[in-house]
Amino acid sequence: MWSRREFLRSCVASSSLVAVGLSIPRFLSRTAAATLPADKPGGKDTLLVVVQLTGGNDGLNTVVPFKDPLYAKYRQALRLPLPQLHKIEDDVALHPSLKGFAELLDDGALCVVQGVGYPNPSQSHFRSMDIWHAGSMAENPSEGWLGKTLRQLSGSQAFHIAQENEEAPLALSGSPGRVPSLTRLEDFRLHMRAAHRGDLLAQRKVLQQASAGTSSPGLLDFIQRTATQTYAQVQRLQELAQSYEPRVPYPASGLAQRLKLVAQLIDAEVGARIFYVSLDGFDTHAEQLATHGRLLQELSDAVTAFFKDMSARGHRDRIVLMTFSEFGRRVAENGSKGTDHGAAAPMFLVGGRVHAGVVGNHPSLADLDMGNLKHHTDFRQVYAAVLDQWLGVSSRQVLGSAFRQAPVLQTRAT
Amino acid sequence: MKPAMTPEQAWAAYRPSPDNPWDTRKVLHLYRRAAFGATYAEQQHALQIGPHKAIDELISGRPGWDAFDREAAGLAETIASQSDALQMRAWWFHCMLYSPHPLREKMTLFWHNHFATSQAKVQSVRYMLGQNQLLRRHALGSFRTLLHAISEDPAMMVWLDTHLSTRRQPNENYARELMELFSLGIGNYTEQDIREAARAFTGWQIRHHRYYFNASEHDDGPKTVLGRSGRFNGHDIVDLCLDHPAAARFLARKLFRFFVSEEMTPDRELLEPLAQKLRSSNFDVRSAVETILRSQLFFAPIAYRSRVKSPVDFAVGIVHALEGRIGPTALAQATENLGQKIFYPPSVKGWDGGRAWINASTLIERHKLALAITSTEDSSFGDHCDPAALARKYQKNTDEQALTFFLELFLANDLHEQGRQALYDYLAQTRRGSFPPYWTDQDIQDHRVRTLCYLVLIQPEFQLD
Repeated sequence: MWSRREFLRSCVASSSLVAVGLSIPRFLSRTAAATLPADKPGGKDTLLVVVQLTGGNDGLNTVVPFKDPLYAKYRQALRLPLPQLHKIEDDVALHPSLKGFAELLDDGALCVVQGVGYPNPSQSHFRSMDIWHAGSMAENPSEGWLGKTLRQLSGSQAFHIAQENEEAPLALSGSPGRVPSLTRLEDFRLHMRAAHRGDLLAQRKVLQQASAGTSSPGLLDFIQRTATQTYAQVQRLQELAQSYEPRVPYPASGLAQRLKLVAQLIDAEVGARIFYVSLDGFDTHAEQLATHGRLLQELSDAVTAFFKDMSARGHRDRIVLMTFSEFGRRVAENGSKGTDHGAAAPMFLVGGRVHAGVVGNHPSLADLDMGNLKHHTDFRQVYAAVLDQWLGVSSRQVLGSAFRQAPVLQTRAT
Repeated sequence: MKPAMTPEQAWAAYRPSPDNPWDTRKVLHLYRRAAFGATYAEQQHALQIGPHKAIDELISGRPGWDAFDREAAGLAETIASQSDALQMRAWWFHCMLYSPHPLREKMTLFWHNHFATSQAKVQSVRYMLGQNQLLRRHALGSFRTLLHAISEDPAMMVWLDTHLSTRRQPNENYARELMELFSLGIGNYTEQDIREAARAFTGWQIRHHRYYFNASEHDDGPKTVLGRSGRFNGHDIVDLCLDHPAAARFLARKLFRFFVSEEMTPDRELLEPLAQKLRSSNFDVRSAVETILRSQLFFAPIAYRSRVKSPVDFAVGIVHALEGRIGPTALAQATENLGQKIFYPPSVKGWDGGRAWINASTLIERHKLALAITSTEDSSFGDHCDPAALARKYQKNTDEQALTFFLELFLANDLHEQGRQALYDYLAQTRRGSFPPYWTDQDIQDHRVRTLCYLVLIQPEFQLD
């Protein structure tokens, strides 16, 4: 809102931009964003948060087959210290940085899908990323799997929470409406050019009047209603920006701040069901150990804080957060204490209704394809589960053909 | 919804009468649909000469459009040789803003949405500009000629993989969209038709940036498509599609949606006279568009404000009515935020349009863009698009005059009484107030007029076309 200091400053700089707070009856804004409760997966208000790990995450050092002698053979400089690993199965453990993920697993909220990939894997960042984004192997895709999903989720929005200058992901293109890329909450507000307080108040009144629907059902009424909802959302988000107090502290990292913005948007009920964030830096060709540890730390801490915050606000069973990377990395480390581009890798799903535990075996280190792990689960099987069982959207339509759903979500008897 | 008139009445020419007069609302309706809105002078001029001559002018373009074209073509060539995709988008905005033949630009936009091709896949500024010029050349010409030409267009051939299609492995992409999206619509052909038609387009390749027929990759065997058999090539398929009775109906329906209404679904009976006109004129687009623009239906209440302004119409319309001179690059970037990145349609189906243009995010972006253009203080738009200067030019000096002026210019006065009162109150409440002491009376007045203009542009009514 309008502090005395801002007001004085704006009198000096006559054209300073100021945010508008419109007073809209609370009941109206509630109605505007009202959604039906989700009694079952595929219900009306399930949410999907996609976290992209850009650059090719080293899956082998993320979910580690620590007992396999071949692991020690292939990874000498990069071998992770056994005592610090978080053991999740007899012979599988999480990277030391993934402490938060280990806790989520204990809490029944983490699913680890092993050995995910696709046939004839590409080792080009761009081509492989396109395949994951499009959900298809088609050459030069121009539409993304989430964009197609949005076409079926009529009325729902999505947000791309971007880093500065990060382009909108292909995954979201092809949606019927534009998917906004936000880097901060301030992007989502109305600007006015007011010379003084009276000027501002008078402008606000015009806006309020403009969105006051007096017309009969039709296009004009549709625009007026959308404007009313928008002004309400803008106001709630601006209030939230100042008053949002996370139930658990978020780390200061970039990913944590982006996920905090997702949390604010979810809590403000702005009518979006899909959120997209990414974390860059996984292309660890050299000196991988420290970099990779730091990245996984950022991932684990941010996701854990986000999930705890959301759980404390009652959204635990509405959320599925899913991570992916365009490929895993070569099994054998290279001579620069790093790893080169590889193939199959694990995915994580976090949420109150995910199938807690490990899905599938770790791909064999004895049976490699050009030095890379072979996948046993197609990533589109994971997409299919998320689409059909979680968002309630036909995966056949989105993916172009039928994929057997990977068992990554709880199946509940109804 | 059905208009309360027979198809014959609907397509008969509108003639002004005392109870259905030629007024500002009709003038602006015509200029919104057949151009990018009207300046105050254009509005007055059209009121004076009446609908018949006003439509003549729109159909033929103003004198000098061919010279403008030649100059624009030269610019396009430079941009193609530099392969600058952002400049390519800016270039088209330049054409839309300043061409003396706005209807042709509007129809180019129609065809861009019909044959929606994206630089995202084509990855060639030269091909995309070439296609755009092709669409412009035939914008008001023969749809038959255009459909033949677009089939051989390099951008289209890359976009829908025609150039990869071989005798052994025909690619069905182009054959499918030719029938589904370009000429017939779903339900008027079978999957078998597509498979057979795909064979006819094999051997269509690109060489030296041009269409090239590679006979050794062409399958010249007999094919059966849409009930006819023969050793068809791609051009035969195009003609077979156009000879199908659904083709004229399909195009008529799209023209109806573009010019008349997005809200109303016309029945076959209503569209039939327009479809018949297309068939009997060998798909002459100009005469079909002319029939629409002159019709009773076009000027009927059911068509009025029954479309959502596209981002391009929103942006170009504001600058045009304000008689602004701005660099088009900023406009190209801004409309992307509003949801329409020209040369990059979201899919081969084009933009959905209609209500899909409007959501919370795009509405906020419309506010931002209206403010950026009218404030004169946004460096990317500059100060040559100034509502205050425009009001002075037409000597609208008092508050009352300025209010009436902008309401007429942008809304043809279509604002309910409370809305008008709210704007009036804005002016009344800012007559006094603690403006910065160094502001002159002129500064204060200019600020109020610019703000007034912004507040008119964010009215829900202005989001409709």
